[in-house]
Amino acid sequence: MREVLERWLGADARVVDALSDEELGELHAALVAARKRQAAALAAASAEALRQMPAPLRARFGEIVGF
Amino acid sequence: MGRDLATQAELVKLARALDTTPDEVSFAGSLDHRDIRRLRERVVDALYEEHRATFGRIAMITRLLPTPLNVRITLRAFPPLLAARIAGEMAPDRAAELVNRMPIEYLADGCLHLEPRRAAPLISHIHPDRVVAVVQELVARGEYVTIGHLLDAATERIVRDVAAVISDEALLRIGCYAESDTQLTTAVAALPPERLRGIVASAVGGPPELRSAGLALIARLADDELRARLAEYAAESDDEALTRLLHTAIDDGAVPELLTLFAALGEHTQRRVLTLPALTDPDVRTQLTKAVTAHPLESNVTFMP
Repeated sequence: MREVLERWLGADARVVDALSDEELGELHAALVAARKRQAAALAAASAEALRQMPAPLRARFGEIVGF
Repeated sequence: MGRDLATQAELVKLARALDTTPDEVSFAGSLDHRDIRRLRERVVDALYEEHRATFGRIAMITRLLPTPLNVRITLRAFPPLLAARIAGEMAPDRAAELVNRMPIEYLADGCLHLEPRRAAPLISHIHPDRVVAVVQELVARGEYVTIGHLLDAATERIVRDVAAVISDEALLRIGCYAESDTQLTTAVAALPPERLRGIVASAVGGPPELRSAGLALIARLADDELRARLAEYAAESDDEALTRLLHTAIDDGAVPELLTLFAALGEHTQRRVLTLPALTDPDVRTQLTKAVTAHPLESNVTFMP
């Protein structure tokens, strides 16, 4: 857990050392949930943005964004 | 800022960075507010870096589309959190073009997720009237934590324009949540003297939370001359108001801030303050003695009469 958080937040993130194992577990869970929410929101927003684009441009911009 | 206020504000900002509620980040409540801030900055960077390439590609597309179409797509497709992160990847003048055409309410929502480190170049390109309108919207929502957070990104012009249209109470609450003492000092210094006198009077004559906010604001100023000037304004109050300020400092754990304010006064004013009858109260003297022991004054004037 500590190693995972250090990888995400930076090995020099001293705050990881200041939290108990239980608190680290909650930080880990909050970060995992935030990453999932952000990925899902970004995918949904990108799809909706493509839908809003004029049809002739849609395929080209879909390639750029990676959809 | 008092430790509790600072910790509460940082927990709110950490929760927003994680797109969750303050209850969900209570695990960080045991940390010092500076450590919570460092944690939040790492969290923001981690979440930002994870999709930075996508944010960059979306920002690139906005360069190829006309502004009205960009605005329409942004409003229909992107929640404010994502829009704020994508804005960080756009050229500031291009992002400002979009911002200048978006509804104030959407921009205010986006401010909750802006990081001053990335937002400063963008904010400096936005039309000042729109910045003021967004701040007014945030004040109407009671979002003092957010405005204080973004104070680091504000220019002196913005500070002056905003100060001209919002209340003394709002300014005090914003100052309470400012992150940087240096930027807070710059912002306060940008206000005209008569406004500063009015703000101090509103704090001293206001309810306890405003008195606390005023003490915190004056104590945090990084400019000795400015701190002394505001402290003198506060000391112009009558004995009744100064006694209320004294009791608020004791009740809210803001005696160190009160002592900083007292130390900034000129000797003549210090002598007048020391004649306050409340300072002969044994309970008050005990509280002050404890605080003076824990936080010795830099000046050689004793606080006790």
